[in-house]
Amino acid sequence: MTLYVHEMKMNLKSLLTWVLCVGGLCFGCILLYTSLEDSIQEMADAYSNMGAMSVALGMDKMSLATLTGFYATEIAMMHGLGGAMFAAILGTGMLSKEEAFHTSEFLNVLPVSRQSILLQKYAALVSNILVFNLLCTLMYILGFIMMKEEISGKEMLLYHFAQLIMQIEIGTICFMLSACVKKNLMGAGLGIAIFMFAADMMCRILPAIEDVKYITPFYYSNAADIFTNGEIDAIMLGIGVGIITVSFMAAWFRYRNKDLAV
Amino acid sequence: MEKEYAITVHNLTKTYGRKRGIINLTMEVEKGDIFGFLGPNGAGKSTTIRSLLGLIKFQQGNASILGMEVKKHHDRILKKIGYMPSEAMFYPSMKVKDVIQFAADMRNMDCKQEASMLCERLLVDTEKRIEELSLGNRKKVSIVCAMQHKPELFIFDEPTSGLDPLMQAEFFKLIIEYNKQGTTCFLSSHVLSEIKKYCKHAAIIREGKLIRSDTVENLTKTNAKRIHMIKDGVEENMVYRGNLNELFASFAGHDIEDIVIEEPELDEIFMHYYEEEQV
Repeated sequence: MTLYVHEMKMNLKSLLTWVLCVGGLCFGCILLYTSLEDSIQEMADAYSNMGAMSVALGMDKMSLATLTGFYATEIAMMHGLGGAMFAAILGTGMLSKEEAFHTSEFLNVLPVSRQSILLQKYAALVSNILVFNLLCTLMYILGFIMMKEEISGKEMLLYHFAQLIMQIEIGTICFMLSACVKKNLMGAGLGIAIFMFAADMMCRILPAIEDVKYITPFYYSNAADIFTNGEIDAIMLGIGVGIITVSFMAAWFRYRNKDLAV
Repeated sequence: MEKEYAITVHNLTKTYGRKRGIINLTMEVEKGDIFGFLGPNGAGKSTTIRSLLGLIKFQQGNASILGMEVKKHHDRILKKIGYMPSEAMFYPSMKVKDVIQFAADMRNMDCKQEASMLCERLLVDTEKRIEELSLGNRKKVSIVCAMQHKPELFIFDEPTSGLDPLMQAEFFKLIIEYNKQGTTCFLSSHVLSEIKKYCKHAAIIREGKLIRSDTVENLTKTNAKRIHMIKDGVEENMVYRGNLNELFASFAGHDIEDIVIEEPELDEIFMHYYEEEQV
């Protein structure tokens, strides 16, 4: 528990910065929606007729003419990508930072097993992602309230739940990476997040690579799909949970048996 | 009375792929001893220590600390050890007092009184952040973290590098005080005078293999002599390890202008162990 609290404290500034950047940006965009109201119908028509691009951004399903539509396309894209990047950066550094910054010789000779270190650090990773999503979601709800717009509660809840799982999936993949290497591979983590985001857009446009949807968590956490269907694709979500489990187990076995760099 | 051992190592082997680490290392450290562990850079001293602490996994052999097998009782062993690495690294943004408290909390112990005494004696500024500290001051924090929980065994890896002479003296004073209370000390060092002054036993490791383990007194016993002379007008300096009569006989026919024969320096005695195989 001590290490968990320590990790939470160490990541507090980073967490608040990401909440302010991603949450603040999306919150600001929600508030700016009123200023777009005069021209929004024209924009909505234009965006929905952009062919493949409209499909990739979900604008073939949702219209920008409503705040919910604007939220499920524009805001969701910013929140999804920002959240994934936050989870990736956090995950890639969680274990490897001890070796990269030579603190493993201090931490790993304290009487705590490697399993406990791994569990406490993973708990801190998940908690950070949870708090990030909670604070961001509260800011978005506040935005809707300030705009005096009705929120589709169920869809909103489902979407943010899917986002949470998506970010945990990316964070866990990067956590596994962190258990295997001795350097902080932040660039590789960001690469994974951006690749997953791009893969989702591409597989929606190109039927030839449709199966890519099974590996990218952005697919099951797509806001336009969830707001349109009112549900999360259970199979895709199940695959996501499977990837989380496998990644965590791989991290567990690797970290237990590796030689730590000091 | 049967001897009790703080550390026993039997045929310990650790390799890094094709690279050598340590090979069939066997040694014992008695409880209550101050034990020196000597060897040139890359000899395998840190590999041995890291294997004992579970930071790296050895492939063959077995090792026990305080009667517990290293691989089976890792966490229990670490509770009874105070370790100071050669590179004292901590979380840069943390304050010294928070690092010391964190180390105590991880042990589920209240070490405030002991930590306060140690900080006072080692002149540790607990309000400073780690990133503001020099290597010497980080070493002092490391000493506090290693000693505050009053462990049964200290393992120090080159502890005095970076410490000023006053702090080195204070550090050894602390070791002797804890040792009198029963704490065993395993000390890896390059500083031979430290080993001679403070250790009862020592082991010498070279190229991953144990060369010798004995009392410091026996290790420093030698028939070697340092000889300064001016022979045939040429000044010569050498360490001679043979029969002096034969040496004098070899002077026949030479003009010996001056000769001084004295005990060799400690470094020269140990150099003999370091270089033996190459001679």
